[in-house]
Amino acid sequence: MNREALIQIVKQPVQWIEDRTGVIAFSTPLLSHHVPRSAKWWYVFGSATLMFFTIQIVTGVCLGTMYAPSASNAWESLRYIDEEIPLGWMLRALHGWSSSAMVVMMAIHMLQVFMHGSFKFPRELNWITGVFLLLTVLALAFTGQVMRWDQDAYWGLGIGAAIVDRVPVFGDQMRALMLGGPIIGGETLNRFFALHVFILPGAAIGLVGVHMTLIMKNGISEMPKPGEIVVPSTYRKGFEERMEKSGVPFFPDAAQRDMVFCGVCLILLVFLAAYYGPFGPGGMPDPTLINTNPRPDYPFMWIFGAVSLLPPASETAIMLISPVVGIAILVAVPFLSNSGERAPSRRPGMMLLAVFVVMAIVALTWEGVTSPWSPVMDGWSALPTPTQFVKGRTPLQMQGAVVFQYAQCRNCHELGGFGGKRGPALDEIATRMSPDQIVRQVQQGGGNMPAFGKNLNSAQMTAIVGFLSTLRPANEADSTIPGAQLPLPIKSPLVLESPFTGTGVPAEISAGVSSR
Amino acid sequence: MRLQIATFLSCLSILAFVGCDRMPGKPKEATPVVIGSTAWTQSTFNTNCRGCHSQGAEGAAIPLIDAGYWKVATDAQVIQVIAQGQGVLMPSYLDSNGGPMSSDQIAEFVKGMRTLWGAGVSGGQGGISGTVVAGNASAGSQVFASACASCHAAGGSAGSVTDPMYLKLISNQGLWSAIVYGRAALGSPAWNQPMPQHPNGLTPTEVADVVSWIAQSRPMSSANAQVKSIPKDKNASDSK
Repeated sequence: MNREALIQIVKQPVQWIEDRTGVIAFSTPLLSHHVPRSAKWWYVFGSATLMFFTIQIVTGVCLGTMYAPSASNAWESLRYIDEEIPLGWMLRALHGWSSSAMVVMMAIHMLQVFMHGSFKFPRELNWITGVFLLLTVLALAFTGQVMRWDQDAYWGLGIGAAIVDRVPVFGDQMRALMLGGPIIGGETLNRFFALHVFILPGAAIGLVGVHMTLIMKNGISEMPKPGEIVVPSTYRKGFEERMEKSGVPFFPDAAQRDMVFCGVCLILLVFLAAYYGPFGPGGMPDPTLINTNPRPDYPFMWIFGAVSLLPPASETAIMLISPVVGIAILVAVPFLSNSGERAPSRRPGMMLLAVFVVMAIVALTWEGVTSPWSPVMDGWSALPTPTQFVKGRTPLQMQGAVVFQYAQCRNCHELGGFGGKRGPALDEIATRMSPDQIVRQVQQGGGNMPAFGKNLNSAQMTAIVGFLSTLRPANEADSTIPGAQLPLPIKSPLVLESPFTGTGVPAEISAGVSSR
Repeated sequence: MRLQIATFLSCLSILAFVGCDRMPGKPKEATPVVIGSTAWTQSTFNTNCRGCHSQGAEGAAIPLIDAGYWKVATDAQVIQVIAQGQGVLMPSYLDSNGGPMSSDQIAEFVKGMRTLWGAGVSGGQGGISGTVVAGNASAGSQVFASACASCHAAGGSAGSVTDPMYLKLISNQGLWSAIVYGRAALGSPAWNQPMPQHPNGLTPTEVADVVSWIAQSRPMSSANAQVKSIPKDKNASDSK
């Protein structure tokens, strides 16, 4: 069979399909439409986001064939996928890492569009559909985290429900709608499953379609040049002329860069998935297990960090108002400024704003990673007093160190870098507080610390204060009270008025500070 | 030709990938914890004991990661202390007292600890009892003056052991253990080791005597300091 005949065999069915559908006539202009010659590597992030979204759909459908969306079986089915299905863990790892990568890539794409002023006329709706895509993807990430149905999911839902619950008037109803009842249960998982696999992906696919159609309609923006000003009345005409004259076809000129970048992203994704494996599932979603340290997935870590910093009095207002205001501002961006300069060098205020937002999100993410969920519940019995804090101590101070463990101070306070983070580290407490101040703080608490006066008798109090008064670097003086007579007389017995034992107990505070 | 090589290489890499289900990211299958295993003993110790009873110069109470301890203490004594608590600051770990372990688990745990840190020694081999023995207080006064006072008298360089506040927190058993085991890593000699002003160490009788004498300085007269940390709710106990 010669070459010509072979080509005919392939050509005939293609022509038949083209005749009936017109698919080639439809897609040729999509591939060959002209894009700016200056559109180089800055323009690859949107394509990479789309690639990750495609991976999400493919891996998600595969996972959907094995995942059991019921409260009693979900966790077990993930273990099953991880351990029994060949490369099932890889599927989950790809889905998880691709989800994070999509959020990151989307954020970079959005930042690039913002910094290059590409949202200005006539691309306002490109930006707005992008904002809604971002929200949809974040919603997918959150509902995806719930699919794991582990401790992180449980407490993530708990925080979400608590926020929704604070909505005035409709709080109860909204929470019931979110959870499918008064508590987190099987109904909740089913609800989030429906959102995660039907509603949100459908919405995302629709929005991607609109976003792409708008790109075809309005063209890809050129690289901004200082002095090239966007004037709505003349922009389209000028843009079309420039594309005619100096544009290059999307395929293959621009598409090849997209392909290279997507290829690199894909290799990185497979590496991350193969090396770090799937996300979770963490511990069982059991609210009675208090020795837990749940964290949201990274896209929400900054919100977790921000919430951990809120002063209690302002929590409700800030948690309910700031998302609305934030989304409103994002949507309003192209209307606040849809003409004029696009070049970053001519928009220094906007650049500073972008840098500030990125830094704030990074800083809050760090806060979210490190902020304590609860005290370290077994700190008192698991973390030994470091050598430097027991060496050279008197018997009473040593008993104080035991009391320090016994009273579970370690659950909230660090010594030598280990311990809870609810309160300050106490390695150098004696340089900040005098023995009297420590007595007051331990007895009465305050500043987020409970009062221990009722739980410690006078001997325990004396010992623990004696121990704490030795916690300072050898070359630093201990705390002094300005204006007080110094040094405090060594060995003079001080009488602690103890309301808890009912009697004044002679407490040789001096024993605690004899190392002075 | 180039195309063929590229195709061949990609097929090969895909095949290699599919064939390999042993990447670092693959979740490890959870291994069930067997009670009595070394891993169980170690993790139980690390979660429940290590905060106070560690090793060397670490931790504020007597180190358990220490062959010297296991030479003196018998399994029965250790089980007793873990199950019932000791003095003021050592809580009871027995489930019937509100603790986290059953009596069987405690027995297994002590057995496991001896295997880990007291391998080859059985308890009661230290030449002295692990539990407190009653002594003669007036004889103890002499022992204290000659052996202990140079460092441990009121105002002494190593800190007073007759301080009533100290004695309210430590039982006679605690005093006994402090003398018997010492803290070598912190510079405190054990009972039979030479002391600064007392080159020969002590005899078991002298240890008993001096503990009796020191205990006399305790504000309460009972043999063991029984300071309740939290006042018991009268009504709750009455209603039983």
